[in-house]
Amino acid sequence: MQDISLHLLDIIENSVRAAAKNIKVRVIKDHKQNLLRVIVEDDGVGMDTGTLEMAQNPFYSSKEKRAKKVGLGIPLFKQNAELANGCFNMTSEPGFGTVLTADFELDHIDRMPLGNLKDTLLGVIIGHPDVDYQITLLSREKGREQSFHFSTAAIKEELGDIPLTYPDVIEYIDQSLQEGIQNTNMEVV
Amino acid sequence: MKTLADLKKIREKAQEEMKLRGSSVRIKIVVGMGTSGIAMGAREVMKTFLEEISNRNLTDVIVTQTGEKGLSSLEPVVDLIEEDKPKVTYGNMTPDKVKKVVVEHIVNGRIVSDYVVATGN
Ligand SMILES: Nc1ncnc2c1ncn2[C@@H]1O[C@H](COP(=O)(O)OP(=O)(O)O)[C@@H](O)[C@H]1O
Ligand SMILES: [Mg+2]
Repeated sequence: MQDISLHLLDIIENSVRAAAKNIKVRVIKDHKQNLLRVIVEDDGVGMDTGTLEMAQNPFYSSKEKRAKKVGLGIPLFKQNAELANGCFNMTSEPGFGTVLTADFELDHIDRMPLGNLKDTLLGVIIGHPDVDYQITLLSREKGREQSFHFSTAAIKEELGDIPLTYPDVIEYIDQSLQEGIQNTNMEVV
Repeated sequence: MKTLADLKKIREKAQEEMKLRGSSVRIKIVVGMGTSGIAMGAREVMKTFLEEISNRNLTDVIVTQTGEKGLSSLEPVVDLIEEDKPKVTYGNMTPDKVKKVVVEHIVNGRIVSDYVVATGN
């Protein structure tokens, strides 16, 4: 993965596969604390301690057949956070869900770029129409705080039986995300 | 700023259209979004489908994402599912190939056999 937004996509896909109905995504950029933080919280099936530990180990996947080939998403994300002097944490409760936090030192020379947050979010929102997302982008810079909240449940309620793939809806979500990303200065990070 | 009022207008417009054309989904597109697919460009493939749907105003198509399907060497992989027809799987997809599949297969109904890696279930 070349950037954080691609890791984020991979992590959200894990949550969807874990049958999550609600996924919270938070991206926080804090200049004073020199921190870039990504949090993904889901209400999927969760993991027991053994699975949780193995999921962070590069040679594990519960999809047994391909155990050696895949199951690299989480370990790679963890490694990339640690390369930027950050830390990585995953907690889970079987039957309740999982929370993953990846911290990066914002100005670290080895920190991977944030990448295209918009395409990641647009894809998961439209590509998994049964999942409700709550997205928060927050930036703190020079004592100013900018935030953006986007919740898909209200949108789906308003749309009724119109699918999220309806052309004008794609455009609506695309533009909403675009504005939020711009307002929180997360375009080129 | 986008508001829920904008959505209401979209809904009204869409409902008018559906009265005329019906609300059936003609083609379902499924983009493989497992780790290796993502690493090979699946997100850009998804994005291109969304752009094409939006630009060409395709109202009878839906796109979803799914996990790995065990075709790692052929990622990004895309399934096109049409009622009463065998599923068509396209492999090694790129944004340009997506554009071609949209014009040829989705709009004109001709399978792009060069990109097909599997058919049926
Ligand atoms: N959000 C989650 N909820 C429940 N289980 C998860 C979650 N994320 C990962 N896992 C478990 O950890 C395993 C390894 O995940 P990952 O490294 O992404 O590989 P893969 O998705 O290819 O299996 C998964 O197969 C799954 O069992
Ligand atoms: Mg995974």
